[in-house]
Amino acid sequence: MLSQLILWSSIVLELALLVTGLRSRLAYRFPAFYVYIAFVLLQDLITIFALQWSQQIYKSVYWATEFTGLALGSLVVFEICKVSLAAYPGTARMARNALAIVFLTAVAKGFPISAGWQLTSTALEIERALRTVQAAAILALVILFLVYSIPFGRNLRGIMLGYGLFIGERVICLAFVSQQNHDFWFYAYSASYIAALGLWLGHLWSYQPSPQPNVCVQLENDYQRIAAATQRRLRETQGYLRKAVGS
Amino acid sequence: MIGSASLVAGAVLLLLLLAVVTKGWLAARQLQDVAPASREEDAMEPCAQEVVSRIFSRADWEFVRGLKAGRIERLFEQERKRVALVWVRQTSATIRKVMREHAQAARQSANLNFSTEINIFAQFLTLMAVCGTLSIAIQITGPVWLGGLAHYAQRLSQQVTKLQESFHAGSLAKAEGTGRG
Repeated sequence: MLSQLILWSSIVLELALLVTGLRSRLAYRFPAFYVYIAFVLLQDLITIFALQWSQQIYKSVYWATEFTGLALGSLVVFEICKVSLAAYPGTARMARNALAIVFLTAVAKGFPISAGWQLTSTALEIERALRTVQAAAILALVILFLVYSIPFGRNLRGIMLGYGLFIGERVICLAFVSQQNHDFWFYAYSASYIAALGLWLGHLWSYQPSPQPNVCVQLENDYQRIAAATQRRLRETQGYLRKAVGS
Repeated sequence: MIGSASLVAGAVLLLLLLAVVTKGWLAARQLQDVAPASREEDAMEPCAQEVVSRIFSRADWEFVRGLKAGRIERLFEQERKRVALVWVRQTSATIRKVMREHAQAARQSANLNFSTEINIFAQFLTLMAVCGTLSIAIQITGPVWLGGLAHYAQRLSQQVTKLQESFHAGSLAKAEGTGRG
């Protein structure tokens, strides 16, 4: 009963989000995000029919579409990055490096192996591993946005907060959720998406432009010079530190 | 292993985003860009080296102790602690301002260096950690016993300020050059 309520609430909210997105033309500004929402709506409708057909088909359809949704969700993260950092090439460079580090660390730490990507592993385990990498990537981006004081418009902020909170909550739920029983974590896992949809609907009701930087500083050559000075100063600081510790 | 890593990543992300929502950090950024908080600006007035030395000096403490008046001793301790905490807050505000200005200048540089930025950020975190530790230590033991550590923090902070000044001088020189060209 509760599962049905969550499912139908999701469908209604997704429809409302798509309609408002088309009405306010936000769907053309954030195409990856609205494609993701449209896909999840389609996924919900397909799984309803699959559930009526057979339990086995439902499971296969559910997990196949879940992983496609995960891939489309990653495109949403890239869209957030691309739109918000369009006017900030320095931070964009930092973001590319940070994301590369997150993915390389995930590969180096053998995330797929430790998650049990073998024939015996479950879809739930694989999803948990992939969602964790996604959570780490979003975390790195949010820290960058905060450090570099990137101003966010209401629309983009809503997309980022909604998707980030959804992923964070989903990762926590996946650590506890059981495949056999429909316990608290199962419902929390499903309801996290409803919360994200509510947040999106509130932030994406109408178009609000993202603030643009006021001053355009050209630092191409100076940054090299300053970087050299910075490195020299840091070496001095390091020497000072060593002296302070040694004395 | 994977379970705990997932939990940590999820919990940290959730907490950080909840802080962003409740504090309105990303939304308030533009206002900060346009007009820095005046209260913080006031706090940017550098504290003279002699004053800092005085706050953490044992000489005054020994003088008050020599008076053999318990009440004055307690009053002195309380006042010194308060002044020392204000100084720590001021220092950490300066460090934050320096970092904010650096970030605002660097974010638009197309050839920004990743490792240099990481170094500066690590230095910023170290300084903030030193300030946090200082603050806790002052609360616990009082400022008189912490002279050495305070001077160390002060010198590190000054080095970061110098770095920032050279960064600004560079960007101004370039801006002027562009204006003439």
